[in-house]
Amino acid sequence: MPDKPSDLVQGTLDMLILKTLALEPTHGYGISVRIEQMSKGVFRLNAGSLFLAIQRLQRDGLIQGEWKPTENNRQAKYYALTAKGRKRLDNETREWGRQAAAIGRILEAS
Amino acid sequence: MLRNIASGLRSLFRKEHVDRELNEELRTYLEMASAEKIKQGMSRKDAVRAVRLERGSLEVTKEVVRSAAWESFVETCWRDLQFAARMLRKNPGFTTAAVLAIALGVGINVGIFSVLNGAMLRLLPIPRAKQIVSVDQTFHGRFQRDTHGETSMFSYAEYLDYRDHNQVFSGLLAYEPFIEATLAGGKLQRLLGTASTCNYFEVLDEHPAQGRGFVGSDCAAPGENAVVVIGDALWKGTFGGDPALVGKRILLNRAAFTVIGITRPGFTGTEPFPSAFWAPITMQKALDSGRDYLASDNVSWLAMLGRVRPGVTMQQVRADLAVIAGRIDQSHPGRTTSLGIARARFFSRADEREVLVPVASVIFAAFGLVLLIACANVANLLLARASVRHREIALRLSIGASRGRLVRQLLTESLLLSLFGGALGSVLALCSFASITRFVVSRLPHEFSTLTVNVAPDFRVLAYALALTVFTGIVFGLVPALKSSRLDLNTALKEDSAHSGEGKKGGLVRSTLVGAQIAVCMILLLASGLLLRGLYYAQTVDPGFEVKDIAGAFLNLRAQGYDESRATAFVQGLRERIAALPGVFEVAQAECAPLSHDWSADEFTVPGRTDKTGIEYNHVSPEYFSVVGIPIVRGRGFTQAEARNDATVIIVTESTAQRLWPGQDPLGKTLRAGNGYEATVIGVARDAQVSHLGQLNDPYLYYSAGPRDNLRTYVLLRFAGGYPTIAKGIRQAVHALDADVPVDINTVDDYLEVWRIPSRIVAALSTGLSGLALLLGSIGIYGMVSYGVSRCVREIGIRMALGADGADVMNLVLRQAMRPVLIGALVGMIACAVVSQVLSSMLFGVSAHDAIAFISAPLILLVVALGGSYIPARRAMRVDPMVALRYE
Repeated sequence: MPDKPSDLVQGTLDMLILKTLALEPTHGYGISVRIEQMSKGVFRLNAGSLFLAIQRLQRDGLIQGEWKPTENNRQAKYYALTAKGRKRLDNETREWGRQAAAIGRILEAS
Repeated sequence: MLRNIASGLRSLFRKEHVDRELNEELRTYLEMASAEKIKQGMSRKDAVRAVRLERGSLEVTKEVVRSAAWESFVETCWRDLQFAARMLRKNPGFTTAAVLAIALGVGINVGIFSVLNGAMLRLLPIPRAKQIVSVDQTFHGRFQRDTHGETSMFSYAEYLDYRDHNQVFSGLLAYEPFIEATLAGGKLQRLLGTASTCNYFEVLDEHPAQGRGFVGSDCAAPGENAVVVIGDALWKGTFGGDPALVGKRILLNRAAFTVIGITRPGFTGTEPFPSAFWAPITMQKALDSGRDYLASDNVSWLAMLGRVRPGVTMQQVRADLAVIAGRIDQSHPGRTTSLGIARARFFSRADEREVLVPVASVIFAAFGLVLLIACANVANLLLARASVRHREIALRLSIGASRGRLVRQLLTESLLLSLFGGALGSVLALCSFASITRFVVSRLPHEFSTLTVNVAPDFRVLAYALALTVFTGIVFGLVPALKSSRLDLNTALKEDSAHSGEGKKGGLVRSTLVGAQIAVCMILLLASGLLLRGLYYAQTVDPGFEVKDIAGAFLNLRAQGYDESRATAFVQGLRERIAALPGVFEVAQAECAPLSHDWSADEFTVPGRTDKTGIEYNHVSPEYFSVVGIPIVRGRGFTQAEARNDATVIIVTESTAQRLWPGQDPLGKTLRAGNGYEATVIGVARDAQVSHLGQLNDPYLYYSAGPRDNLRTYVLLRFAGGYPTIAKGIRQAVHALDADVPVDINTVDDYLEVWRIPSRIVAALSTGLSGLALLLGSIGIYGMVSYGVSRCVREIGIRMALGADGADVMNLVLRQAMRPVLIGALVGMIACAVVSQVLSSMLFGVSAHDAIAFISAPLILLVVALGGSYIPARRAMRVDPMVALRYE
């Protein structure tokens, strides 16, 4: 079923959210839309897992929320990366690259 | 981490605010998502539905987000707790019964633990006690060693070696505990004191309240500095708080000592038996009746304590001292030493632990058994109640509570119960055990009655009480919780509450619990039955000699500086004076008075044979046998001419003769002692339990006493009339000869009493425990039967309507009730038959499988069990079939 969104690889959701927020602070819905767009519809976030991850990241002090009006003049909570969050994202991106390359090499070996 | 906790706490206390925020956020989310869909042309209603399909229900999301955080766990716990408290308040009868049972079980266990903690686990009551370690040693292999005190102690030379060559202690001290000394002047008084190295007070960091402690020069040379530090209790008691005592001279064992200091109140030394004074170790010879241990390098007499340098670990201490021990071993070929090194506590030497640990574990196990019975009781109560709450639980399961959630809630209830019970029991125990301990200790044999145990609670006792309480709550709560949350919803909800509930299986769990209670009860009852039988035997035993109207006066003249000829003159004069007292028939002398806990033993060989026999012996005067009433059955007794130390004659007992020369005439045979001294048998005395009560057939022999034996002797006399007059007469006679010689006067009955005390205390303890167990057990049976009856009312009604009469019903109920009782009792008896061997050392002359105890204890138990089930069974008998059938 090509239209069914894939499950995320375990533990990568946090990284994706951090990456999204690194580009620009946004609210919960914005995060899920942006992840969907960037993955070209491969990942579709369930609200439960999204807000669970947001709460987790917030408690770990990686992101920070702030109520602000949207362009349609609605109140929404906008999240932004903290310094700690930025550092974590850098680390994880580097680590991910390393692992993905390694896995790729293994899968391509014949 | 910190931020996580802070945020968790924030949402705990500002729950509404946090909830509102989450709601708000999710609503915005929903609106944004549906706005997108509306833009694509959907109606608003369809859009919301589509979002829910794609993204999941927002209500569920809320629940997921909320319950993922740790504070929600705390919150449900709190809700459970409130609910549990409400349930307990609603059933005051049940709650009281359960709390009391737990309080009893936990209370006595916390109490006994606080005693053990005070006796064996607390650190020494001195400043910075954590740094103090005790050192003791165990020898392996071939070795010869003299012991004065305990085998695990050190010689002075060894101490010096450890003191001078270790790298780990800031100070290492040694002391000889338990020196018995007589304080002369005014009223003669016997004291327990300590001879210590002169760094004693410095290493312990104890500073006398008045005067000074020892300094190095006090120990400069043997016998030179007769100084002494006096304990606070002795100063306030005997010396009446004399403000000018420091600097005065006192007489200890006839040697003059100058008081240089008085300890602070509360410092009683480093042994559980308080020390009254401290003298330099170099004064040992003056205190120990002329024996010199300082010079010998192969005698165990010193306990060692060291203060560890800051930063040094126990491993380093062990490694460092092991090197020194290894070097000492090199001069003793064939011997290896292992050191025991531990934080210093009371009773920490290997010899002491070897005796105390088994005793403590038996006591602990017995007390634990009572707790177990209490737990079983409460579990049974909970099970009975669970079936009443059947519908409530079924309802909660059917509207979606998970089983785990339900178990958690039921466990919260039982934990709350056990917390109440545990707190009540612990408080009662901690308030009462100090006085109970004092009472028991004051009943101990004389030499133990100064034992001080600090039973005040410390963190260890509190932790133990808490752990025990939680453990108890889980033990009695888990089975009922698991069982009552496993329900078949369909039948449970359809059944009516009147006779819903557990089927056969539930009954089985409950009977098993009762059976287990009965089994444990049985063990305790049998144990106390055996001990009581032993006590009865000890009270009524015929030790094989005359016990009534014999007194003994103990004199240690060597300790008072007498030599052999002066001692002989003294004893001769004393015997004449005593013989002249009105009411005294005959006077004799012995090295050891019968049953006085004084004995000597040696290894003997029959010349020409290689096997050795350990035999206890006594040096007695010719009149001994007629005074204590032991007949000579063959040969003759000693004559006055044989009252020499070089007389080569002995008298053996019948069983000694039987063992050494079976089927032969023992007269004229010779026996060689361990030191090569040979003697000829001239008579055979009847067997008597003169040394150890309850040991009739152990070999024993008598030497003839000579002048040397007068240095330390018992003067025995047979008398008629009032003992107090006789005792006073003896004391006057001694003081007429020398006012400073202390004398100990007792009747043989007194000596016998000391043998009975341990069994008396243990018997009282176990009787009390088994009484409690019996009480709890009978309540358990009563509860089980009356619950069973109340559930079978309808069945009973039908039976009676069909023609059964009261007796049939009674039969039925009792038969059902007695099955778990009988099985439990049987299991208990078998278990006790196995463990009663442990008790055998307490049982004078009673077999570990004594028939009377093994018959009467089950009978008592059966009577109590029948009584417990009879009351509810009578209720069953009176059931009116018409009422019963209409019931519900």
